[in-house]
Amino acid sequence: MNNEQLTAHQIRLALDESIDHLPFRITQRLEQSRIAALARAMPVQTELAVNRASSMAVALHGDHRPSVYFRLLSTLAPILLVVAGLYGIDAWNDAEEAAETADIDAELLLADDDVPVSAYADKGFGVFLKNSRQ
Amino acid sequence: MASRQELSEFLKSIERRAFKQAVYAVRDNETALDVVQDAMFKLAEKYADKPLAELPLLFQRILQNTIHDHFRRQKVRNLWTTLLSSLRPSDESGDADRDVLESMEVEGDTRQGESAAQLVEREQILRMIDDEVQKLPPRQREAFVMRYWQDLDVAETAIAMGCSEGSVKTHCSRATHTLATALRAKGITL
Repeated sequence: MNNEQLTAHQIRLALDESIDHLPFRITQRLEQSRIAALARAMPVQTELAVNRASSMAVALHGDHRPSVYFRLLSTLAPILLVVAGLYGIDAWNDAEEAAETADIDAELLLADDDVPVSAYADKGFGVFLKNSRQ
Repeated sequence: MASRQELSEFLKSIERRAFKQAVYAVRDNETALDVVQDAMFKLAEKYADKPLAELPLLFQRILQNTIHDHFRRQKVRNLWTTLLSSLRPSDESGDADRDVLESMEVEGDTRQGESAAQLVEREQILRMIDDEVQKLPPRQREAFVMRYWQDLDVAETAIAMGCSEGSVKTHCSRATHTLATALRAKGITL
């Protein structure tokens, strides 16, 4: 070790000693910075790991991804189900309304004459008839 | 690729030296802490996938760039401050309510078996060495710190500083000579 290196080494030892006695506030802040930096590094590493794992899986087991038609069908199927459901609800509603009207018509034909015809046009009267039959 | 554990260990091993290096350059603890934090963020965000062996040089380059960025921003800020301060009335009573005790730091000391006088003397010597390193011309200090404290070799230091290997050797030699002379003048023998 030449003279320059020896001096540098001695200064290095002194500098090392001085950083061992940094105030707690400083060391704590450095630690916080390190933890925050590691948290920022994680998404990148996780993403890389996932990409690597998926590429390894493909390499080992071949590409078993579903076909384009299957993926299209899996996207459209829920939409078709919702549309069919809405259509079913609408049809059921129509049938209910028709049955209710039929009841009123039957009552109108069979009932006594003391009930005015306009009462049958009242929606509440239809409900009254249904309840009174029960 | 460095694992999370390796990256953590690496940052832990260099954070204090990096802080001192930043303090030598910016001469303010808070700013130095911000600089080191920025450098750590940049390393973690952009170079976490690099091999562990490449991290010291990468970190040094990032740290140097962050320090230079700080000085560039400070230059712009100073320009605006100078322009705007001429429009604002001076306020000299700002420090009147400041409590001196709030800014004092308690330093833990675990060294046993040394007398108070020896401790004080040792700390004075360390502070004088610290001061002399800080007084070095910036390029000499950068070369000295990277080469002899951050353990970079001549080629790596040259890359980090953006100069030739010959310049690094010259800077290091001059820095060591200046430090040795200054410390000898103060009665400190290494």
